[in-house]
Amino acid sequence: MSNKEFEQQLQRNLSALPDDIQPERDLWPGIEHALGQTPENSTQKRATGYWGMAAATATIGLMGWLGLSQLPVTSDAEQLAQVLSQQHQQQKQALLASFDGQPALTDNWQQQVDELDGAAAAIKQALKEDPNNPALLRMLQQVYQQQIDLIERVHAPTWQKI
Amino acid sequence: MQTQGQLIEAKEQFAERGLLSLVEAVKQGDRQAYHKLYQMHLGQVYALCYRLTADRALAEDATQEVFIQLWRKLDNYRGDAKFSTWLHSVTSNVCVSYMRKQRGWWQRMFNLESTDAVHEVAEGSAGDVDLDTYIRRLPERARMVFVLHAVEGYRHEEIAQLLDMAVGSSKAQFHRAKQLLSEWMGYE
Repeated sequence: MSNKEFEQQLQRNLSALPDDIQPERDLWPGIEHALGQTPENSTQKRATGYWGMAAATATIGLMGWLGLSQLPVTSDAEQLAQVLSQQHQQQKQALLASFDGQPALTDNWQQQVDELDGAAAAIKQALKEDPNNPALLRMLQQVYQQQIDLIERVHAPTWQKI
Repeated sequence: MQTQGQLIEAKEQFAERGLLSLVEAVKQGDRQAYHKLYQMHLGQVYALCYRLTADRALAEDATQEVFIQLWRKLDNYRGDAKFSTWLHSVTSNVCVSYMRKQRGWWQRMFNLESTDAVHEVAEGSAGDVDLDTYIRRLPERARMVFVLHAVEGYRHEEIAQLLDMAVGSSKAQFHRAKQLLSEWMGYE
């Protein structure tokens, strides 16, 4: 069949695309919740910001050391991953406690948190098999940071410029 | 005697005037008016977000982000263009920005190409096509360019600016999208 036929068929299909598709879940409660918040009045956000700053400082120090030194021998590399995990768990629990009872913007954020936990577990497993790989440690740190960002974002939406 | 075309035009103008008074109420902080505006445009905003992201959950989050920002930025709407046209532009900008924030690191690191449609499309035939399903199956950059150009009517220069790519890349991605669609629709 010719290119011309394809173009004609494509135009017909484009014209037939629906203008309107409805989401599966109710999005309004999350929006309404966010409308009540402003960047200025969110003490919750400021508090979590301090947490993020403290964790970031600690992590930057840790990762800076990672970048400047040779990767430690196997057992030390595993220890480093453990320290990273413990530090992350503490920060995560404190964050979740501070947002306890506060409605989240999305319903599936827990699922996303779980998926990131799964990714972290996979990286830790890979680290056991390839302990001399600094990229894996950096990936682990980034997955943890992603999780913290996610928890903060769904509970304290930030404003972007349109 | 009025033609049918004139009648439709008059009806549209009347609807647009009603919409503008709703927008004015929202600008004054009327939450109920905003809920009504949301209900009127939810489907159109979500449709665009879903086509751009190809992921229901991400599209839902992006749709929320659009309406959260819209509430604060509605003062920027001066009535120069139709409200729906302006809203499409806002939606494209916010959704692309949201996708960049959400997926940027994750995809770079793991090179993921996850869309809802990856597993839902069988080889098609020319006569029976669900174009939306094929669009969701396209690779991300090709899909975004295709949606913005073919569905939303953006020029390649505008797409290049929005997606932070060269104009030539936008054209190349569009060509790639059409090639894939042609193949899936049984034309190659």
